[in-house]
Amino acid sequence: MALLEAKHITKQFGGLTAVNDVSLTVEAGSIVSVIGPNGAGKTTFFNVLTGIYKPTKGTIIFDGKDITGLRPDQITALGICRTFQNIRLFNAMTVLENVLVGMHTRLHAGLWQILFGTPSVRAEERASLERARELLRFVNLDHQRNQLARNLPYGDQRRLEIARALASSPKLILLDEPTAGMNPQETAEATNLIRRLRDELGITVVLIEHDMRVVMTISERITVLDYGTKIAEGLPEEIRSNPRVIEAYLGKGAAAHGVERVEG
Amino acid sequence: MAVEATTGAELILTRRSFRSFMSEVFGPLLQVFLFVVGSAVALGGVVILLAVVLRGTREDIDLLQGTITILPQVIVDGLVRGFLYATIALGYTMVYGVLEFINFAHGEIFMVGAFVGAFFGAALASSGMLTTINPILFVIAAVLLGMAVSGLLAMSVERIAYRPLRNAPRLVPLISAIGVSLVLQDVMRMIAVNTGLGFNAQFRTPDLGQPLVLAHMPIADERTIPVSVDSRSLIFIVVAILMLIGLNYLVNITKLGTAIRAVAQDRPTASLMGIDVNRVIAITFLIGGALGGAAGILFGMRVGTINPYVGFLPGLKAFTAAVLGGIGNITGAMVGGIVLGFLEAFVASYLSLFTRGQFSGASYADIVAFSILILILIFRPSGLLGEVVAQKV
Amino acid sequence: MATDNRQVDQPASLWTQLRTMAGRGPAPYVLILAYAAIVSALLLVNPTTGLGTDMVVVLFLLLMFVIYRAPTILAFKLTLGTILLAVVMPVFGVLNPFYIDVVTKAGMFAALALGLNVVVGFAGLLDLGYVAFFAVGAYLWGIFSTPQISNIVSGMEPLHGSWFWLFLAIGLAVGAFFGVLLGLPVLRLRGDYLAIVTLGLGEVIRVLATNLDRPINITNGAQGIKDIGRPPLFIEPVFQAFGITISQVQEYRLYFYFLVLLVLALTVFVVHRLNNSRIGRAWTAIREDETAAIAMGIPLVRMKLLAFAVGASFAGTMGVIFSALQTFINPPTFDLLRSIGILSMVILGGMGSIPGTILGAVIVTLLDLQLLPRIASELAALQRRGVPIPAWFDPAQYQRLLFGLLLIIMMIFRPEGLLPEDRRRQELHHDEPEPAPVSKTVKPAAESAQSAEG
Ligand SMILES: Nc1ncnc2c1ncn2[C@@H]1O[C@H](COP(=O)(O)OP(=O)(O)OP(=O)(O)O)[C@@H](O)[C@H]1O
Ligand SMILES: [Mg+2]
Repeated sequence: MALLEAKHITKQFGGLTAVNDVSLTVEAGSIVSVIGPNGAGKTTFFNVLTGIYKPTKGTIIFDGKDITGLRPDQITALGICRTFQNIRLFNAMTVLENVLVGMHTRLHAGLWQILFGTPSVRAEERASLERARELLRFVNLDHQRNQLARNLPYGDQRRLEIARALASSPKLILLDEPTAGMNPQETAEATNLIRRLRDELGITVVLIEHDMRVVMTISERITVLDYGTKIAEGLPEEIRSNPRVIEAYLGKGAAAHGVERVEG
Repeated sequence: MAVEATTGAELILTRRSFRSFMSEVFGPLLQVFLFVVGSAVALGGVVILLAVVLRGTREDIDLLQGTITILPQVIVDGLVRGFLYATIALGYTMVYGVLEFINFAHGEIFMVGAFVGAFFGAALASSGMLTTINPILFVIAAVLLGMAVSGLLAMSVERIAYRPLRNAPRLVPLISAIGVSLVLQDVMRMIAVNTGLGFNAQFRTPDLGQPLVLAHMPIADERTIPVSVDSRSLIFIVVAILMLIGLNYLVNITKLGTAIRAVAQDRPTASLMGIDVNRVIAITFLIGGALGGAAGILFGMRVGTINPYVGFLPGLKAFTAAVLGGIGNITGAMVGGIVLGFLEAFVASYLSLFTRGQFSGASYADIVAFSILILILIFRPSGLLGEVVAQKV
Repeated sequence: MATDNRQVDQPASLWTQLRTMAGRGPAPYVLILAYAAIVSALLLVNPTTGLGTDMVVVLFLLLMFVIYRAPTILAFKLTLGTILLAVVMPVFGVLNPFYIDVVTKAGMFAALALGLNVVVGFAGLLDLGYVAFFAVGAYLWGIFSTPQISNIVSGMEPLHGSWFWLFLAIGLAVGAFFGVLLGLPVLRLRGDYLAIVTLGLGEVIRVLATNLDRPINITNGAQGIKDIGRPPLFIEPVFQAFGITISQVQEYRLYFYFLVLLVLALTVFVVHRLNNSRIGRAWTAIREDETAAIAMGIPLVRMKLLAFAVGASFAGTMGVIFSALQTFINPPTFDLLRSIGILSMVILGGMGSIPGTILGAVIVTLLDLQLLPRIASELAALQRRGVPIPAWFDPAQYQRLLFGLLLIIMMIFRPEGLLPEDRRRQELHHDEPEPAPVSKTVKPAAESAQSAEG
């Protein structure tokens, strides 16, 4: 069953068409990559899916519901959460608090309940702390929980973003370049973590990624964008040998060369 | 160089650049002019229509006649207010353009300009020259003096209170600017009170001439009333227009203007291209401050008495004008100022008339200005002339 | 002299030694008790008005701060604090009316500043028109408790003073209502625009207060409203039981002092609860990064409105108290300077920090109402004795200069404030196993948590 169906999404900024008639179907329980050169419109596509931008055209069906035009917080409440390409943590909050913020839509304490400190609120707070610690252990950050987010090393910040996104109990998680700026060892760990998201938590994953090794090892399907348009879609092996993809990445000459090599 | 051979081409070149010169310098003014005419006609139409509709409600006076009688005066008032807000708004908008920062203290820069003029007038008076000096010379000297002091002040304020905070979160420099505005108010009060100028300072000028009668308007029974512009308003409008021309030349034609626009568009890149960003920002403050100072002089000259707190309301409204026109957009600031000025002038004059004096137009004009600010920000935050830009994520 | 060198070598260690000595075992209790005894004695023995007493009052308020930070058990802090605030201060207030008024004002502004702190400090929304809600509360009680009400509802008599208590709640509700009403259109705006728009709204409220004497006289215009009702006194029998007779004026003074203290305590409680809840976390997240916050599922507008409404409701209630305390209000009472004064309290103390905000409110109020006028009169006295001080130099008249410099200097040198918010609160409250009884206080708990991590 398709968990997410984006149909004919177009997003324009003034005269610039950043995403042009892109469709994408994501099966529940899969790991899908979106790749493409810089400025191809990948992040913009994510922003449209999560409601940060309203699409100029197109519809988005998530879990059987039309979510086109909903606010980002409503979409998160329905079960899509994301990380950001340029890490956006709540810097002056602790690691633990960052995760607790992510839980916002799953908590229910209202103003008066909080003021009167009702037992249900306390129980909820206790449970949410437990869950936050669990998530931090999942991404191996529990020992850092009382640090301010801004003081974490880079790799930890990326993992904290994932933990924060997980806190909203999403069905689908969108990761925008989760291994950017990491060294090979960190990248391997991150790849492993992404796989665990699906295997252990059962969350469907869509990721934007530039590192081809990561893309090829973990994705089940790959979608390629170039200048806002979808130029290819398929299994990793298909993408690897697709001349249009090679051309988009390496330029025309290389494409011809690559094709020759494949043939030879 | 083969000068002779290329003469023809050069001629075309200069002619073309002359045309583009004219369009870059006067194009924005044409737009401003269109908005002046548009505002005057539209608002004039509205009040006449209202007068016709409400005519039956008043027996004591002929509402329609009353409306038409004061209309020319209201339009002049609108022009003056419009140019006042436009010149102040330019300071906000230019600084916003390069720094994305609301220079909250700009209203006080304007106020300081007004005081410079008052000091100038007082100094001339005490040396007995005020009666003998040529009025035109006086106006020119006062405006230049006000521009210099306010411009330098704005530049120093930037250096001391804003530059150290350039990379801080948005609210930090804004709060600092609020502080600067309070400090300037009180420092000016301290100076004014202790130099004998007084809290309510008189802006003394030489005799600036009689009102200029433009026409005689017939009213009932073959009587006519003169339609006139008082000389101070006229000076205001003329000087303001000259300054706007100068500014357009500076920003659109000169190399400095190009640098300012480059910094406004993309600061890091401009810096990579070898533009000294700090210097450009300082100069932007200098220009904005100078315009504010000139506006202060003209304002003080027109109202006659000023105090250290006069900068607040015009500052706030000029900011409204800048937002109305599309903040960061220079032509927009002028247009926004004009539109706001006209609206205010009309409300100030006609609200009392139409409500039998139940609502004081002068007070409610302020409310109208803020309501416009709020409505614009909600429904068209990019302003009349601004482009819609989505925030990048 | 020989020790001098060593001091230069290790000044830190000497200081640390002193601190640990003063913080160990019974030492803090003894030191604080001694401090409290000396200050109380000075206040009660010599209740005159003058520079000396000014200093003692400052020391008294500083004592509150010391008690708050001291490494002692909570019960001790609460007991001592209560004795000082509920016994020593009121008795001193009966002996000398001047200072308790200042303290009452300081408490009132602290509560107001805490409300603004919710908006500015927690949620990061710079509200420059905060005083509008204060004005709404003040005019609400001002109109209903005076003949003004007869102009609006014909035939309605001014309400009796005992309605005051109900109006505290009504002020809360009306404040919140106005907060939502004004917040709804403007809260979508970006931070700096919001500042200007709220400033405009504050001015609009003031203009309305000035001009709504026509066509119907609602606010009595620029003349303001006088003879505003006060709640009936009921503490007289208490005093008589102790054989004390005091005048009605003095009684009201104590009455409002306790009322403000109570409201302040309630405010602290409410703000603290909110801050440590999902709502408080959502506010901080919004302040840190709006885009990330909304992407994490926080409904931006609703949460901002809530912050606005909470802040405004405090202001509404304090407005009701203020008008009853002053018995006179007019539009200039609620000008922009008042908003900025409250803002500078929040900024001085530390945006987002509850103790910081209270500290800021106390410092600014003291400076504003007590110290600057005192310095001015001392300067004038010196001047009369022939010391060459320029006649125009009157510090009490330069409030704007004071607030302005305060804002600039804080922004440049210490934007987080004197007492920044404590960002490690989760571990203090739920996270760690119950600390041992002696260290069940703020500081040691934090330290033990750190070492547990180590
Ligand atoms: N808010 C915006 N306003 C205007 N243009 C935008 C905006 N956001 C993105 N763009 C433009 O849309 C295009 C696509 O940008 P996008 O960030 O989606 O690319 P990307 O594929 O994520 O690239 P990268 O690999 O560098 O992250 C770019 O040309 C970018 O400049
Ligand atoms: Mg991207």
